[in-house]
Amino acid sequence: MTRPSKQIISLNVNGDDYELAVRPNRTLLEVLREDLMLTGTKEGCEDGSCGTCTVLLDGAPVRSCMLLAVDVAGRHVVTIEGLASDNELHPVQKAFVEYGAIQCGYCSPGMILTAKALLDTNPNPTEEEIKLAISGNLCRCTGYNKIVSAIKIAGENIAGVSSHE
Amino acid sequence: MNNNDLKYVGKPVPRKDGPLKATGGAQYTVDISLPGMLVGKVLRSPYPHARILNIDTSQAKKLPGVKAVVTSADSLKVKHGFIDTPRYPADQYPIAVDMVRHAGEEIAGVAAIDEDTANEALSLIHVEYERLPAVFDPEEAMKLDAPEIHPNHPKVSDPYKNIGGKIETAFGDIEKAFTGSYLIREDKFYCQIRTHGYMEPQATVASWDHSSKLNVWTSSMGVFLKRARLARTLGLPFGSVRILKTYVGGAFGGKIDLYGHEYIASLLSMKCRLPVKIVYTREEVFKAARHGQPLIVEIKTGVKRDGTILGQQIRTINDSGAYRGSGVVAIFLAWGFAMAPYRIPSMQYEGYSVYTNNLVRAPQRGHGAPKMRFAAESQFDVIAEELGMDPIDFRLKNARNPGDMLPNGDSVKNFGLKECIAKVAEKTDFKAKYEAALKERHSGSTIKRGIGIGTTAYFSGSLVYPNSSTVIVRFNDDASVSVMTGALDIGQGCETVISQIVAEELGVPLNEIHVHAADTETTPVDIGSWISGLTYVTGNAAKKAASHAMKKLLNVAAQELGSEVQELIALDKTIFVGHSPDRKISYGQAIAASIAKNKGDCIIGEGHFRTMKDEVSPPSLSTAKGRWTENYSNYAQVAEVEVDTETGMVRILKATTAHDCGFPVNPVLVEGQIDGQVSMGQGHILSEELRVEDGCVINPSFLEYKMPCALDMVETDYIDVITETYDKEHHYNTKEVGEGYVSGTVASVANAIYNAIGIRVKKTPVHPQDIIDALEKHEHGGKGDLTR
Ligand code: FES
Ligand code: FES
Repeated sequence: MTRPSKQIISLNVNGDDYELAVRPNRTLLEVLREDLMLTGTKEGCEDGSCGTCTVLLDGAPVRSCMLLAVDVAGRHVVTIEGLASDNELHPVQKAFVEYGAIQCGYCSPGMILTAKALLDTNPNPTEEEIKLAISGNLCRCTGYNKIVSAIKIAGENIAGVSSHE
Repeated sequence: MNNNDLKYVGKPVPRKDGPLKATGGAQYTVDISLPGMLVGKVLRSPYPHARILNIDTSQAKKLPGVKAVVTSADSLKVKHGFIDTPRYPADQYPIAVDMVRHAGEEIAGVAAIDEDTANEALSLIHVEYERLPAVFDPEEAMKLDAPEIHPNHPKVSDPYKNIGGKIETAFGDIEKAFTGSYLIREDKFYCQIRTHGYMEPQATVASWDHSSKLNVWTSSMGVFLKRARLARTLGLPFGSVRILKTYVGGAFGGKIDLYGHEYIASLLSMKCRLPVKIVYTREEVFKAARHGQPLIVEIKTGVKRDGTILGQQIRTINDSGAYRGSGVVAIFLAWGFAMAPYRIPSMQYEGYSVYTNNLVRAPQRGHGAPKMRFAAESQFDVIAEELGMDPIDFRLKNARNPGDMLPNGDSVKNFGLKECIAKVAEKTDFKAKYEAALKERHSGSTIKRGIGIGTTAYFSGSLVYPNSSTVIVRFNDDASVSVMTGALDIGQGCETVISQIVAEELGVPLNEIHVHAADTETTPVDIGSWISGLTYVTGNAAKKAASHAMKKLLNVAAQELGSEVQELIALDKTIFVGHSPDRKISYGQAIAASIAKNKGDCIIGEGHFRTMKDEVSPPSLSTAKGRWTENYSNYAQVAEVEVDTETGMVRILKATTAHDCGFPVNPVLVEGQIDGQVSMGQGHILSEELRVEDGCVINPSFLEYKMPCALDMVETDYIDVITETYDKEHHYNTKEVGEGYVSGTVASVANAIYNAIGIRVKKTPVHPQDIIDALEKHEHGGKGDLTR
């Protein structure tokens, strides 16, 4: 078996610049989990159908199992490990914890990042908009009810904080 | 103590592991990485039934980067089984020996330095097979001329060679009941195979260390059962196998029993003395893991003119797949779910678990209840309609009362079923909506609305290995608390619930309670997260352990304060003399005093709990005799649906659940369990089906196997029916909350579809095309049942 040779890419992950040697057939998900040991990003299906591998690429949610690492060279990636700052949970994380939106937690990283991206562009989404935004993220535990409420509350909290500023 | 005086128990506190899970810090088995760890892969049979003539691993072994290859020749050839009793001896090797009986069965394992090498090694293993005739339909497999799947196996039902399990039980006089009946109905219902849909795939890391100990991290539902099965099949003493805690990304019944990959990872690691990790691909989960139990239910019920049930005769057939798995348990439980909720004076039940060449079955949330309740509740509605009764009155007439004795000797001492039915009917305005839908059926609109009810009673723990739980509660020097429990949190939140109970008993805040869980080496035995008894059994053990520690603490305080224990009051980690509150001692000081003056006693409490303490063994799987459980939970669920008669689409508008779980230790976790089950029930009745052709799964992806997504979300509402209290002096009786509702959803949606369009659902799932076909048949004067 011959293997394609590695390429050097640079990648900004959670604010840090990395220079990485990767084979061109490796996915962003594999590189994040196996090379950078950022295991918060999960694999649930490897065919783009579950959303557990969602990360933010230049701010937009993407399925890291469907992207080759070499194709995102030079871009900015945020994983779940990069969301909380100074030990302070992001409002979406906080709402997920407080309002029972997490059970087994396997879908939570992808779900939280998808929700964050939604609220970044639409701070006051309707229930339908929330459901649509997370419709590609499967959760088997919660039935989605508490996830949808948590995202709604997180949006309100973010709006509340920024209107006080 | 009144439930209102409680500070931690009964409160919707956020789960303790929430922040860790929300930040990506929770380590699941798939995340474990050890120095020198190898990638393990499993070679699986492509055929559903074949003799293995030869396995040649020589080329695979020679491939650079391959560190170990194992087949059954490396194993001790010890069989295992979900059930292992004299009547039902273990019937499955963890790695195939000479025969394969289902597609996907494990034949060999490899460990290599990376995934590509491991996959290449698999392709270099050459297996010669002799294909054998196979059978896939359980009713076909029951015929005398069917291919025999386990030729050398003791037969439970001669001359039928593929019947792997049979249960027969009866009470009352069924003949008399039917002769005296005003109306008798006979119906047949079918349920499909569904997968559990846990988001974390099956995964195991095994590491044989230098002290000859096998350390295993595995995505499971209880570490002690895994240890027992793994140690036995590997021929190791229990003390040489350690299962460690990992977070678990969902299980729903699908991660209890020993799986071939857990054994193979262990064998590989023992062979090459390096850690080995096996993670299934999602396709592998679909094609080779165990899934739920498809069940056929034939049910005949006789009633009096006023709706009183006189007798019921039931026959179930379960396709258990190539090995017994939990098939014989499913047919036992199906009986239980038929006899528990309603008064049925005479019953005759027979259940068959039949070997086929399909994948092996595992328990699945509800384990028989969704299918049995779907059948029984659907037939209740048919009968009620024929008698001119409404579904609520029919159920209220026949539901059990608190204190009723069941035919197996269980008492339903605190049964809230009637209250659940009455409350849910009232809150949903059931009767008015039901009548309105009947009138609407003949209106011109193509969108029809309907309302339906489904009910359940569910068991709360039974006597199955490891049978009981022990918890240790230890005060630390700073008066924070460490709790040692073997319980494994699989997402239901048991670590949080145990912490709430300990916090309540000790008066120590939740954030100062540290749970050390689910490690066979360092935590005491636990009943497991799979028999619906954890909050009851482990929770009571935690309560006893905490009160034991508290008693010791108060004794020291009494010594130090020169008072009697009865005079003491504990508040905010300080102990006061009630009548002179300036005489006080902090918990920390009391602990120090205990260490200084009580021979170093640092204050450790210990608690054990076993359900049905006077019973020696679980109920019989062949006769159903013997006690089953101590506490029955109850639910009544109402679904409101909308059916588009042009497209056949069914939408569940709302599911309202009245539930008696004794009392909710953590209401927000209880709601989470209900929501999740509504969603699973929705998948069961409307979309999910594992499609199998000649024993091979042909839709092995979430793209082709439709689980509900956020757009399908059902609005939920809850009604608490509280039948128990939490009392500091005694053990408490809380009930199951994580499995039963799934049945209410299936049954209530089926009944709501009938209410909307007059089509009786007799098989699941209900595809839009099924609705259209049934409506068409109906229009042409046919009966219009939606069936196979
Ligand atoms: S792992 Fe990427 S979508 Fe499922
Ligand atoms: S919380 Fe378990 S999959 Fe979403």
